[in-house]
Amino acid sequence: MTAFFKEVVDILVKYHGYFLQGIGYTMLISLTGTVVGLIIGLITGIVRTIPQSKNPVIRGILKVVNAIISIYVEVFRGTPMMVQSMVIFWGYAFMNNGNTLPLIPAGIFIVSINTGAYMAEIVRGGIISIDKGQFEGAYSIGMNHFQTMINVIVPQTMRNILPAISNEFVINIKDTSVLNVIGVTELYFFTAKISKMTWAIFETYVVACVIYFILTFTITRLLKLAERKIDGPASYTINEMPAAAEEG
Amino acid sequence: MDKIISVNGLKKSFGENEILKDINFSVSRGDVTCIIGASGSGKSTMLRCINLLEEPTAGEIIYKGQNILKTKNIPAYRAKVEMVFQSFNLFENMTVLKNCMIGQMKVLKTDKETARNEAMHYLEKVGMAPYINAKPRQLSGGQKQRVAIARALAMKPDVILFDEPTSALDPQMVGEVLEVIKNIAKEGLTMIIVTHEMAFARDVSNHVVFMKDGVICEEGSPDEIFTSPKKQETKDFLSRFMNNR
Repeated sequence: MTAFFKEVVDILVKYHGYFLQGIGYTMLISLTGTVVGLIIGLITGIVRTIPQSKNPVIRGILKVVNAIISIYVEVFRGTPMMVQSMVIFWGYAFMNNGNTLPLIPAGIFIVSINTGAYMAEIVRGGIISIDKGQFEGAYSIGMNHFQTMINVIVPQTMRNILPAISNEFVINIKDTSVLNVIGVTELYFFTAKISKMTWAIFETYVVACVIYFILTFTITRLLKLAERKIDGPASYTINEMPAAAEEG
Repeated sequence: MDKIISVNGLKKSFGENEILKDINFSVSRGDVTCIIGASGSGKSTMLRCINLLEEPTAGEIIYKGQNILKTKNIPAYRAKVEMVFQSFNLFENMTVLKNCMIGQMKVLKTDKETARNEAMHYLEKVGMAPYINAKPRQLSGGQKQRVAIARALAMKPDVILFDEPTSALDPQMVGEVLEVIKNIAKEGLTMIIVTHEMAFARDVSNHVVFMKDGVICEEGSPDEIFTSPKKQETKDFLSRFMNNR
C-alpha cells in the first residue's frame, strides 16, 4: 500500500504539469462545447416552436428548416462521438489535400455539435412543458413570438432544464476523453502518455479517475447552487411605501 | 354610435365540432358587456376569437373600422385589446412589478422609469402595491387576478376582455376581484366580460348577451335580460342558475 501511495506522489510531483494542462483543455473543450451546444439547442427550440404561419412561403421555409434540424438531431444522436471525431477530422483532411484542422478547435467543434443535438431535444422538451397560458399571457399583451420566447418562455425553460444541462456538462467532461483518437491533448491523452512513460499504469489511471470525479462533482454542485439562485428567496418583502416609490 | 368592436357572422369550428354558429354583436366605446350562458355555449371561444387566440373559421371582427382578421400586425391589435384569463397567466419568472412593466417596455417601448411609475399606479389601484416584490407563485388566486388586471391596465388598452375572471377563485376571493372590475368599469373603460356571476353582471354592465349552443339567444339591457327576459331559453337558464345558488 505504501508503495502505491509513493508511486502516486511521485507521479504527481513529476507530471503535475501534464495533468494540469490536460485538465485545462478538458474543461475548455467541455465548457465551450456545453455552452455552444446549449445555444444551438435554444435556437433550434425557438425555431421549432414558431406557430404555423398563414403565409405559404414562410410555412414552406419553416418546413425545410425543421426537416434539416430533425436530420441533424437524429444523425448526431445516433452515431458515437468517437466515430464522429474521426469522420469530421479526417473528412476535413480528405477534402483539403491532407491539411488537418487545428486540434483544440476541432475538439470544441465536435463536442459542440454533438451536444447541440441532445440540447435541441432537451430544450424542445423544456419549452413544451411550459404551461400554454404563459404563451397566451404574453401574446395577449401584444408580444410577438420572439419577444415571448426571450422574455417569458426561455427563462422558465432554462430553470427547468438546468438539471439536464448539468447532466450534459458532466457527460462532456468525461466524453472529451474520446477526442484522444484524433490526438487532442486533453486529460485522458496526457494520462495515457504518462502511463506509458512510468509504466505505473494502475496508479496513473487512479489519479486520472480522482481528477475526473473532482471536476464533475464540483460542476454539479456549482449548478445546484445556480438552480437555487434562480429560484430566489422563498419569501418576499412587503413594499412598505408604495406612494414614495411612485414619486421616485 | 361609436362602435369600437363589431363581430359579424363569426363562426368557429374545431374539426367537426361547430362551436360558434354565426355570432353578430357590437360594442360601443365605454360599454360594459357581460356575456352569460351555460358552460359549453361558446362564450370563452368567442372571447378568444376576438383576441385572435383562436382563429375564426368565418366572419369578420371589425375593430375601429378595420377587419382585424386581415391585419398583418396582430401584436399591435392585441396591445389595444387586452385579455384577462381565468387562469391568470402571470409570468412565473417575473415579480409582480416586472409583470406589469414588461409589456410596456417591450411592446409599447416605454422607458423603464415611466413603465415602473405606470405599473405602480395601476398596482395601487388594484391594491397590490405592497406585493410588487413577490413572484406569482407566492400569491393567492385573488391577488394574482388583481395583478393580471393591473398588467392589462398598464398597457392603456381600448378594450379589456375578461374570460371568466373569477371562476378559478375561492368564494371569498371572488368579491375582491369583482370589486376591482367594478371600479375600473366606473372609469369608462370598454369591457367585455364572460362571467357566471349573475348579480355582478346585472350590477356592472349596460349590455348583457345570453349565449346558447353557439348562437346569441337574446341580448339587451341588464333589466331586459334579468327582469323580463323574452325567450324561454333565457328564462330557463336564469331560473336554473338562481335555483342552483
